[in-house]
Amino acid sequence: MFDPDTDLVKRAGQGDRAAAQALMARHLPKMMTLARRMLGGQAEAEDAVQDAFLKLWTHAARWQPGQAKFETWLYRVTMNKCYDRLRKRPGASLDEAVEVADPTPAADTVLANIELGEEIETALQALPERQRAAILLCHHQEMGNIEAAEVLGVSVEALESLLARGRRTLRARLGHLKE
Amino acid sequence: MEDDAMWAEALMKDLPSVPATAGLESRILADFDRIAARTPTDRRGWLAGLRDAVWPGVPVWRPAAVLAAALAIGVIMGSTVPLEDSAEQAASIALDEPPSFDLGEAS
Repeated sequence: MFDPDTDLVKRAGQGDRAAAQALMARHLPKMMTLARRMLGGQAEAEDAVQDAFLKLWTHAARWQPGQAKFETWLYRVTMNKCYDRLRKRPGASLDEAVEVADPTPAADTVLANIELGEEIETALQALPERQRAAILLCHHQEMGNIEAAEVLGVSVEALESLLARGRRTLRARLGHLKE
Repeated sequence: MEDDAMWAEALMKDLPSVPATAGLESRILADFDRIAARTPTDRRGWLAGLRDAVWPGVPVWRPAAVLAAALAIGVIMGSTVPLEDSAEQAASIALDEPPSFDLGEAS
């Protein structure tokens, strides 16, 4: 399995700053988008991404090519950093509890005045964290089901179930946008 | 269900990507510099060279674990397994010693 990042990770592990910059240029935009959509806030997302890169720098020298695709590992680290932050939030609870809560107030009166992106983001934030992660990885980061399941640490069947529930909930809330 | 998937795909295309700020990039690179400075390149190169010479392409703990296991087996065998010809050795040592005679100092 050819992994385009292997050489860069090895060089970064040897202290090569240019390789570290190249890795950052390749992955930072996607990681930032993922973390921002998972967490909702820019500052918190930046902290999560910085933590993920810190883990990368400390592990780069020991990276073993062939065990896992580097990008998959990096997404998984990013996702775990997001989960850590979500769980530290006051009042954070299990997925089911988040699923019950619906922070979107009366749709007709409020949503008419906000932009499309914000509306989608609000609906995404209302999804349980694992459903949100599955939707983002597969539909926003354009990852395949197998790779997304690896990132989330679940089976492909479990991922498909998360996707199906997430899509259904999103469509119930945002169906008027894309029908 | 496929309909839902296509709908979600189209919906997500409307989400803009989130740019990283320059401040974040410099913080990430500062972390890299700090980590790189902590492990001197020559030491890391020497260790990596040794590891690659002993057992290429594996993490350093594997050759270390094999070495430790070999050492433990050696110590256990050395301390528990008796020498096969210990009686024969004792006899040859006794023969090599000069004979001692009692020449009647007691009388």
